[in-house]
Amino acid sequence: MQKILIIRSAGFQQLDKNMPEIVRHFPDSRISLLTHEHGVQPAQKYRELNRIHVYPYAASFHPRRRVPELAGKSFDAVVVLVANLSGSGFLNVLRFALTIRAKRYYICNLVSEIREVRPADIRLRHTLNLGYIALAGCMTAIAAPFAAAYLLLQWKRMTGRKS
Amino acid sequence: MSNTLVSVVMLCWNRKDDVRESLSRLRESTYRSLEIIAVDNGSTDGTPEMIEAEFPEVLVLRMPTNIGIAAYNVGFEQARGKYIVILDDDSFPEKHAIERMVRRFEEDPELGVVAFDVRNYFSMDDIKAVEEANGRDGDARNERYIMSFNGAGAGVRTNVFRQVGCYPEEFFLYNNELDTAFRIWDAGYTIRSFPDIVGYHKYSPTNRSSWRAPFYYTRNAFWVAWKNYPDGQAASVTMELIFRCFYHSLEQRTWIYLKAMWSAFSRIGKLKGKRKPVRPDIARRLRAPVNINFTFYR
Repeated sequence: MQKILIIRSAGFQQLDKNMPEIVRHFPDSRISLLTHEHGVQPAQKYRELNRIHVYPYAASFHPRRRVPELAGKSFDAVVVLVANLSGSGFLNVLRFALTIRAKRYYICNLVSEIREVRPADIRLRHTLNLGYIALAGCMTAIAAPFAAAYLLLQWKRMTGRKS
Repeated sequence: MSNTLVSVVMLCWNRKDDVRESLSRLRESTYRSLEIIAVDNGSTDGTPEMIEAEFPEVLVLRMPTNIGIAAYNVGFEQARGKYIVILDDDSFPEKHAIERMVRRFEEDPELGVVAFDVRNYFSMDDIKAVEEANGRDGDARNERYIMSFNGAGAGVRTNVFRQVGCYPEEFFLYNNELDTAFRIWDAGYTIRSFPDIVGYHKYSPTNRSSWRAPFYYTRNAFWVAWKNYPDGQAASVTMELIFRCFYHSLEQRTWIYLKAMWSAFSRIGKLKGKRKPVRPDIARRLRAPVNINFTFYR
């Protein structure tokens, strides 16, 4: 029997839609879910789930915010839910997924397509993204003073105070 | 059972069949003291005519054009109930949900919003079976952070909602619940979710992949920050959002986030007089992850 971990990085409405497809894709498996604390009770409605693990942080999934409860555990597959088609914007979750020991990693998208992603691809995307981060950082550094100056001018109007 | 009047306010726009189903489901509600208001946002598919013909108990308010979430506020103004249930035109409450909601409101005077556990309509049978088997109670509260709600299914205390100004009309679409949530918590009321209070929503992947979601979510994330966060946090969240607009534009090869950012700054006049920073503890604890705004596209 395979051990599967779903990382709930999308809403429950999407998980409702994805769950039957995940069960079909991984027949004869014990499925666990990792969710933020507020998701524990809604998650208890899934008969398919064998266990619910709590992500013990308020912030989003991130490789620096590991789950002590999962240390030392291993899975046959980790499935990351992505709330779009391509998985873009979910690199933080995919990198977090790599902190969990598993034989394979998958994404399950908005329309319940399940695709394997190799750790090497995630790392390559991360490297590419470091370039984007650097470029976006430079753009932000250039734009920030203008944005700040503009906002300062507008701030009093927004608060309704007279200048 | 309480006979306190509850107003159901539903926003409709060109989804005649979904509206018919939602209104039919409302007729199955175990709570009987209901006033149902359907605000039609200028539908051209005959939605308001259908409601008037098939659901004479429903008050239909017709908007001449699609004015976005401002139309909800028109419905909220008309509502006479002590509590309001907010629905989309493709969502409806489970038949016991309103009865349970009223009980929760009456037990806890500080409860401002009951966030329904909004689930995918297409899994309704599975979820119902588990609900009936478990009959669970309790709430999804935790101590570390506080929550917003989903406008596809929520109950609100009418006087609290009016006190905080209902939905921010300038947002047009998306993130309006988060903005309202800040003001509800800041006014001293709570937002809580209970697993036995369920709503169903016809979750549509198609809508999410259109340009509207990334544009309005992103623009309104700036506006939520500017309206509600204390100065320091507003500045840091703004910088994070600017960075994310550039970063995700590169990552997803799209202009939509830059257009949204431009719209946030260029139309800032719409926020005139609307900035009211919330208490620092509310700003710190209300879960508003800005990165989520960048995951609805591509």
